[in-house]
Amino acid sequence: MTALDQNLIGGDFKIDALSISFGGLKAVNQFSLHLKPMELQGLIGPNGAGKTTCFNLVTGVYQPDSGTMVLNGRSLVGLEPHEIAKAGIARTFQNIRLFGDLTVLENVMVSYHMNVDYGYFELFLRTPRYYRIEKEFRDKATELLKVMGLETRKEDKAKSLPYGDQRRLEIARALATHPKVLLLDEPAAGLNTQEKAALMGTIANIRNLFKTTILLIEHDMKLVMGICEKITVLDHGDIIAVGTPREIQDNPKVIEAYLGVG
Amino acid sequence: MKLVQWVTIIVSVGILTGINYLLEENINPYVIRVVVNCGIGMILAMSLNLVNGCAGQFSLGHAGFMGVGAYTSAAITTVLALSPFFKTDMGVGCAIVIGGLAAALAGYLVGLPSLRLKGDYLAIVTLGFGEIIRIIFLNIEEVGGARGLPGIPPKANFFWVYLWVVITFVALLRLLRSSYGRAILSVRENEIAAESMGINVARYKVVAFVISSFFAGIAGGLFAHFQSFIDPNSFVFNKSVEAVIMVVIGGMGSLSGAILGGIIVTVLPELLRIFEQYRMVIFPLILIVLMLVRPMGLLGHKEIWELFRKKASS
Repeated sequence: MTALDQNLIGGDFKIDALSISFGGLKAVNQFSLHLKPMELQGLIGPNGAGKTTCFNLVTGVYQPDSGTMVLNGRSLVGLEPHEIAKAGIARTFQNIRLFGDLTVLENVMVSYHMNVDYGYFELFLRTPRYYRIEKEFRDKATELLKVMGLETRKEDKAKSLPYGDQRRLEIARALATHPKVLLLDEPAAGLNTQEKAALMGTIANIRNLFKTTILLIEHDMKLVMGICEKITVLDHGDIIAVGTPREIQDNPKVIEAYLGVG
Repeated sequence: MKLVQWVTIIVSVGILTGINYLLEENINPYVIRVVVNCGIGMILAMSLNLVNGCAGQFSLGHAGFMGVGAYTSAAITTVLALSPFFKTDMGVGCAIVIGGLAAALAGYLVGLPSLRLKGDYLAIVTLGFGEIIRIIFLNIEEVGGARGLPGIPPKANFFWVYLWVVITFVALLRLLRSSYGRAILSVRENEIAAESMGINVARYKVVAFVISSFFAGIAGGLFAHFQSFIDPNSFVFNKSVEAVIMVVIGGMGSLSGAILGGIIVTVLPELLRIFEQYRMVIFPLILIVLMLVRPMGLLGHKEIWELFRKKASS
C-alpha cells in the first residue's frame, strides 16, 4: 500500500441537526450538512459563528447535545476522538498543533500508528516484521511529504519549519490517516495572498490525488468561491444559507452577516 | 535477532564480567558501593524519564514503585523463601523480575488517574501514592515494619546492576524508536492533535506508567539485594525528588541524559564529602547553577550521540 492508495473513493458523510450549548449559549444550533463522496464543500461565517465548534463536534472533541452524524452508514455520535479518526475523519487545526519536537517525518508517521501490527515484544527484539513495518511507514511518509513539497525538510523538527510549511505539514499529517473525510480548519490563515492562492490549488489537487471528501472552513469568502462546489454559511451558530458560490455571493442574509445591516 | 546483536550481547556480558572481577578483587568496597548506586540511579532515572520526559506526565511517586519492587522481591527471597532456589543468583534474578512486575501493576493503578489529571494535580496524586506505599510497608509486620527487613541475600553486584542498566537502556531506546514510542511522544507534544490522528491518548499514558514502573521496580529489587537491608525510610519522598532531579538535570526526554543525571546525582554528593558539613549546601548550589546555565538540562531533549553528530556536520 502506498501513501496515495485509498480504500474508498471519498466518504459519504451526513450530519443532521447537530446542536451543542455551553451554559446558556447555543454555540451550534441544528447544524446539518451532507458531504457526498469526493465533494469539496466550504463552511464560512464571520468570527465566532461556530465553525470550529462544528469541527470539534464532528471529531468528538465535544459531545453534541443532540443530532446525528453518519459516515458511510456508520454512526459516529459518542465515539472518542481517536475512534473517529480511525473511522476515517481527519482534521487540521486553526491554531497549528504539530508535534513540535518530533521531526517532520515522525509527525506524519504518528498517523500511521493506528495501522501498526507489531507488538511490544517485537519492538524490543526488533523482529523482521518490526523492520518491515517501520520501513513501510517511513517510505509512505516520505512519499506523502514529497507530494506536499516537504521532503527536503523531513529530518527537521516540526517547530523549526516556516509558518506556511507548518500548515502544509498539518495537512500531510491528516492525510496520512487515510481519511475518507478531511476537515481543514482555516488552512490559509496567516498566509499572504500568493501563498493562499497556491494552497487553494493544492487543496483542489489533494481531493483528486487522495480521493477524499473535503470540508473547508475559511474566514475569507473570496478564497473558497473558486474551489468549492457548495458552501454553507454559519452565523451565531445557525445556518443562514446553503448553496453554490454564486448563490451565496448574492444572498442578502450572507451580506448582512458579513457587512452588517446597511 | 541478527548475528551482530548476539555478538554485542556476548561482548557486553564479557566486559561486565571483567569489570566486575576487577572491582571485587582490587577496589575498595566504598567505590564499588558508589558505582553500583550509580547504576541503580541510572535505571531509576531512565524509567522516570519515560513518564516525565517522554509522555509529558508529571510523576512524583517513583520511590513508591521502587519500594514495591524492593519489598516484593525481598519478600520472595527472605520471608516467603518458597524454595532454596530463591537464594541462588538465578532465583534472586527471578525475584527481582517479579518485583518489577508487581511495580508495573502498581503503575497501572496509578496510571489510571493520570487520564483525568494534568501537571501539578497529577504530581500531587503520585506523591500521595508514594507515601501510601511507604506507610503500607511501615505497617506490615511480616516484612519488618518500621524495623526494616534484614538478611536479604546480597546477590546484586556490579555485574547484575549494570546488566540491567544495559537492558533498560536498550529496551527504552527501542521503545522510543518505534511506532509505540512515537505515540507516547505525540501525547507529550499535543494531546488533542494526537487524539485526532487516531492515538488513544489514555492508553499510552497508562502504557508509559506501566513500563516506567516496571523498571523502577527492578531498580528497587536490585537496591534491596545489593544493600541486603531495606526499611520504609529507603523509599521516602526525597527519593522520588532525587529521581526527578536526575531526569531534569540530564534533560527531559533524553535517555543518555537520564544516565548522566543518575551519575551526577549519585556521585556529586560523594565527591563533595571533602567539604564535610557544607556538603549539602554546595550540592544544591551546583544544581542551581546547572539549571541556570542549561535550563533544558545537560543534554536538552537530545541524546548524547545526536549532539556529536550535529557538531560533526556543522
